[in-house]
Amino acid sequence: MMPKRKSRVGKGPGITTYVLLLLVAVLSFFPYYWMFVVASNDTSVINEVPPRLVPGDRFMENVRTVFNNVPFGRALLNSAIVASLAALAQTFFSALAGYAFSKIQFKGRNVLFVIIIATMMVPLQLGVVPQFLLISRLGWVNDLRALIVPGTVSAFGVFWMRQAIDAAVPDELIQAARVDGAGTFRTFRSIVVPSIRPQASVLALFAFMFMWNDFFWPLIVLNKQDAFTVQVALRQVQEQAYVTDYAIQMAGTIVGTVPLFIVFLIFGKQIVGGIMEGALKG
Amino acid sequence: MTAAVEISDVTKRFGDVVAVDNIDLTIADGEFFAMLGPSGCGKTTTLRMIAGLDFPTEGSLKIFGDEVGTLPPNKRPVNTVFQNYALFPHMSVLDNVSFGLRMQKVDKATAAARAKESIELVQLGGYEKRRPNQLSGGQQQRVALARALVNEPKVLLLDEPLGALDLKLRQEMQGELKSLQRDLGVSFVFVTHDQEEALTMSDRIAVMNEGKLLQVGSPEEIYERPANRFVADFIGQTNLIEGTVADETTIVLTNGARVAAPSDHAAGTAVALSLRPERATLTPAGAVEAADGRTSVDGVIAGVTYLGNALVYDVALDWMTIEVREENRPAGDRPSPGDRVAVSWTTSDASVVV
Ligand SMILES: Nc1ncnc2c1ncn2[C@@H]1O[C@H](COP(=O)(O)OP(=O)(O)OP(=O)(O)O)[C@@H](O)[C@H]1O
Ligand SMILES: [Mg+2]
Repeated sequence: MMPKRKSRVGKGPGITTYVLLLLVAVLSFFPYYWMFVVASNDTSVINEVPPRLVPGDRFMENVRTVFNNVPFGRALLNSAIVASLAALAQTFFSALAGYAFSKIQFKGRNVLFVIIIATMMVPLQLGVVPQFLLISRLGWVNDLRALIVPGTVSAFGVFWMRQAIDAAVPDELIQAARVDGAGTFRTFRSIVVPSIRPQASVLALFAFMFMWNDFFWPLIVLNKQDAFTVQVALRQVQEQAYVTDYAIQMAGTIVGTVPLFIVFLIFGKQIVGGIMEGALKG
Repeated sequence: MTAAVEISDVTKRFGDVVAVDNIDLTIADGEFFAMLGPSGCGKTTTLRMIAGLDFPTEGSLKIFGDEVGTLPPNKRPVNTVFQNYALFPHMSVLDNVSFGLRMQKVDKATAAARAKESIELVQLGGYEKRRPNQLSGGQQQRVALARALVNEPKVLLLDEPLGALDLKLRQEMQGELKSLQRDLGVSFVFVTHDQEEALTMSDRIAVMNEGKLLQVGSPEEIYERPANRFVADFIGQTNLIEGTVADETTIVLTNGARVAAPSDHAAGTAVALSLRPERATLTPAGAVEAADGRTSVDGVIAGVTYLGNALVYDVALDWMTIEVREENRPAGDRPSPGDRVAVSWTTSDASVVV
């Protein structure tokens, strides 16, 4: 029995596995490739049968049109500010709340946690009207604060960080820090945060992606071009072109996606590194 | 001299669970004190109350004469070595050990120097830069020890510090802990559920069960004069022979046999005679003389277990089987199963327990 099993492990995955993986990889990559094909051609290629598969030479021209039609540079900057501030704040506050829910005993802890979880079940649309009223009272319409402030904490983030801390930080570690004289916040900073770095990176990445891709809420609170985020600006590109110009639309989308890729590359490495480290430790 | 720790009438409840039930306990300065008992008996809870990680529901707890009340752990002259070491995984050995000093705002260089000393003390010099996951279990244990000692506690609390180590390492660490304690002259309060460990290491032992403190005494007192049936049975091997007190010098066993056993229980009290296997002697039936201070019961050899340096005989009495342990002797010279024998012992070697 044993030798047979061993040889199977030694051989690794078979050819079928590789073919399947390759197929899945091609299928998931194709839409992005075709997006580039469209973005580097004239909008007419969208209707060609069979679809064109080679990129054209109009990519830079299309990108330039995007920047001419809307203040796209400004939109990129706005999105970057909103997404990074909100991601940082959300990770920080969620970790802090998660720490409290995981490690600090206080009255009403469980009830409060259930309430927070319950807010995840309320559909976004229900909250939009009161939230808009609040934002306009604060005078934040057309202000990036309207996006950043509601993004500084999320129920999902709190839940995620609590689970992470439950799993990664044993109670004894917290007590050992207490015995050594570390206060609540110092323990959070010196003991908890370093232990949950991988999970915190995942949350930061999710939050960044969510904020970057959010369209519905920014569309409601932003109506001046200078305040536009990338997603709202992309919609304007389309409207000003009278007939939908897919080539320009796609060119803008590509430019608007690049920052996301960069962030993913940076954080992805950290996350994988963190997971590997955890695996080695275990 | 003021006691290092003085626990008076302390009870700790978690909701309906009484974890520690009205205990009184005094631990002297410089003493190696063991707390022994089965799982869930309240050892950790008692230790945590001394540490300041939990607070008594009722009663008073003094450390060097001062009522500690709800004083936080770092404000007590006490430090703790946790059962699973609880080392900070992302910090080097040096950072782990100096963490407490850094929290006390000791400057970096001094903290590092003192941490180094402490690391040398537990014989881990050269390992300062390692991470906990690059150390063996025994080495991690030493780091935990160094981390606690660097704060110069007057009482060191250790919760089953050797529980996770294999036997050989465990015995090695037992010796080291003991000599460390002697050198430092501070009190060690040591939780264990290994009775042998408690006997070999401690000056005094407290035996607990179900939140109650059953007996406190030197290893010898605990072993030779168990306060009750539970202690007799929990510490070492023993035979508990049931009987009833007849008068102050005699008890009547279940089958009506009378044995000499001095006790101060009232006549008619149901008791057990705790007889250690190694304190009993076997002689052929009828050959035992009623020597001064000795007493005996009759039985039949039911089995023999060969242990190399010793032999353990199962001796069937009329109503129960007891164990007798003797030094090994040549095969021809041993009683064998079926032989009628007398089991005798010096009366003061057995204890009457309720
Ligand atoms: N935080 C708590 N909440 C509720 N019950 C608790 C808590 N801590 C301990 N207990 C209960 O108190 C009793 C004593 O627990 P304790 O941890 O002191 O036992 P122990 O003697 O250390 O056992 P072990 O040898 O298994 O470590 C147990 O019944 C336990 O379930
Ligand atoms: Mg315990």
